[in-house]
Amino acid sequence: MSGLSSSSDAPVLVVDGMNVDIAVPAGALHAVSDVSFSVRPKETLCLVGESGCGKTITSLALMRLLPRTATLTARKIAFEGHDLAKISERAMARLRGYRIGMIFQDPMTSLNPVYTIGNQLEEVYLRHHRGASRKQARERAEYLLSRVGIINAGQRLGQFPHQLSGGLRQRMMIAMMLMCEPALIIADEPTTALDVTVQVQILQLLRGLQDEFNMAMILITHNLGVVARTADQVAVMYAGRVVEQGSAEDVFHNPAHPYTRGLLECMPKHGQAASMGRLGSIPGIVPSLVGNQRGCSFRNRCSLQMPTCHEGQIDLRPARGDHFYRCLLEPGATKPRPVSLGSAA
Amino acid sequence: MSALAMKERPQVATAIEPLAFETRDLSKVFHIGRKWYAGGQPLRAVDGVSLSLRRGEVLAIVGESGCGKTTLSRMMLGLQPPSSGEIFVGGEPLTNVDRKVFARRVQPVFQDPYSSLNPRKTIGEIIRDPLLIHNIGTAKEQVAEVEAMMERVGLARRQIHSYPSQLSGGQRQRVAIARALIIKPEIIICDEPTSALDVSVQAQILNLLQSLREQMNLTYLFISHDLSVVEYMSDYVAVMYLGRIVEAGPTSEVMNAPRHPYTRALMKSILTPEPGLGLPDIHLGRGFPDPLNPPSGCRFHPRCIDAMDKCSSIVPRTLTDGEKIIECHLHDPEMAKA
Repeated sequence: MSGLSSSSDAPVLVVDGMNVDIAVPAGALHAVSDVSFSVRPKETLCLVGESGCGKTITSLALMRLLPRTATLTARKIAFEGHDLAKISERAMARLRGYRIGMIFQDPMTSLNPVYTIGNQLEEVYLRHHRGASRKQARERAEYLLSRVGIINAGQRLGQFPHQLSGGLRQRMMIAMMLMCEPALIIADEPTTALDVTVQVQILQLLRGLQDEFNMAMILITHNLGVVARTADQVAVMYAGRVVEQGSAEDVFHNPAHPYTRGLLECMPKHGQAASMGRLGSIPGIVPSLVGNQRGCSFRNRCSLQMPTCHEGQIDLRPARGDHFYRCLLEPGATKPRPVSLGSAA
Repeated sequence: MSALAMKERPQVATAIEPLAFETRDLSKVFHIGRKWYAGGQPLRAVDGVSLSLRRGEVLAIVGESGCGKTTLSRMMLGLQPPSSGEIFVGGEPLTNVDRKVFARRVQPVFQDPYSSLNPRKTIGEIIRDPLLIHNIGTAKEQVAEVEAMMERVGLARRQIHSYPSQLSGGQRQRVAIARALIIKPEIIICDEPTSALDVSVQAQILNLLQSLREQMNLTYLFISHDLSVVEYMSDYVAVMYLGRIVEAGPTSEVMNAPRHPYTRALMKSILTPEPGLGLPDIHLGRGFPDPLNPPSGCRFHPRCIDAMDKCSSIVPRTLTDGEKIIECHLHDPEMAKA
């Protein structure tokens, strides 16, 4: 959507080779392995995958909000001249909420129930703007609440989170994130708890604000419909790894990885009734991520599994241009046949 | 409110078999802020709903949160008494049917498979419980039945001694389905059975529900907010808004040619996985109204793009056209004349 105009801009965030390991009694759980991506201003990158695929851990790692038992390693995570994997906790605290904003799935649990909305919005601003007055903060809060489509903004500032509906709370979270005009927004399932009609409105709002404030967005979701309609770039995650990455057009029109194809076949389509045949489904469940990971993590659920899928490490390879996938087969193959060595290069 | 009760579906008269399930002018009023000395403010969660379900059919109810779909399902499960109106099971009024007899005919599958299973019981015990309660078969027969049912819903036999915490969300939902089916009910009330599940698991569960329906001639009342799931699963669909059914009919007709402006907005808000289309413009004023103070006239008028003057003052009639039902002035020929 932002295609040509933004491609000349330098990326806001470059993640290169990020790993997150979590210590569990049985050893190390490889929650995120070898994840790399970049986002430019006004661009939306969607991380999509099922529960347990590592998408939320990826977002928490970028905000450095991982649990204590987790270790983050990366070749680099470059954001506005900082390396987020290396900077101190103090420096990170200055960026969090100021240059990087975050929206969570359930706005009720991410708001403090005993403070008014106005109080919580002002706090963000005052924390990052030394010397700003409460009056300035309140004016900005009121402006932003009306900007995200809340009527009677002034009156709403005195209310508590429980007095708002789910959609209004999520708008409020968006306003809170905008208090400091971040360069990057990380939205983790921002519309999952909302009704379908409200979901569309919130996504439209985010898209509009992104263009207006020149923000990059990482949108984390399990909903392929949301991905298709909002993403410029898509990264499909499975068992902690990116299995396919590319533009939304490439990934949806020419899915290269068997998992991506399986996911798309699982969705009921308009005009499809049960009498016309069953939905595609992916048998089995996500593998354990504890211990050494060898071969393709999807192999046990894959109908195209080959003996070679069990061995070694499978790297992301280009399907076409900027479209990458992590599979030994030709892009979009429907038969299990190993790639000849010549074309793998 | 509903002086114009919904007419029964015309084909009802031709059916020889009694309807599997029927509600007539069903309402539920809650009193909010009620004290022992005062009545509280009435909230009409369900307001004059008439539905009918034939054996082997799937009727879906769709609507946004707060539209009353869960309250409706709770009344149909006998978990909450209606404030007015009647429910019939197999032609008999619910009030005349013994609780245990009712439970053998109607079973629920709930949304959250994490909270609807007892964490201290094994899978085998959970699935066997209904057989114990209804005193069906000997212990040996019960265990055999549990094993057969587990196989039918796609659970491994070795999981019989597992606890719910050891299972994934999809497996738990299979346990909930097995528990509902073990006493061979006729009707299953599914309240958002897949909304807590991942896409690939959702597909597995929807396929399972369809296969079981065909094998066991089951009747489903399927409650969902996801229209693409409803389209896939159901034969008939009823769209609810603020406690009323605003449009109903055969799923393919309602989905392909939605007539009520609210149904149209719901249809537009389905995000199909087609890149490049961008976000749809759903033409829906924001803000679900306060159910304590429902708007006058047509309850949808503040959000409706086609609203006319009379929409805010006159309550729309219920119009029936074959199997289709609609409550909207736009489709009322008399209103168009006036």
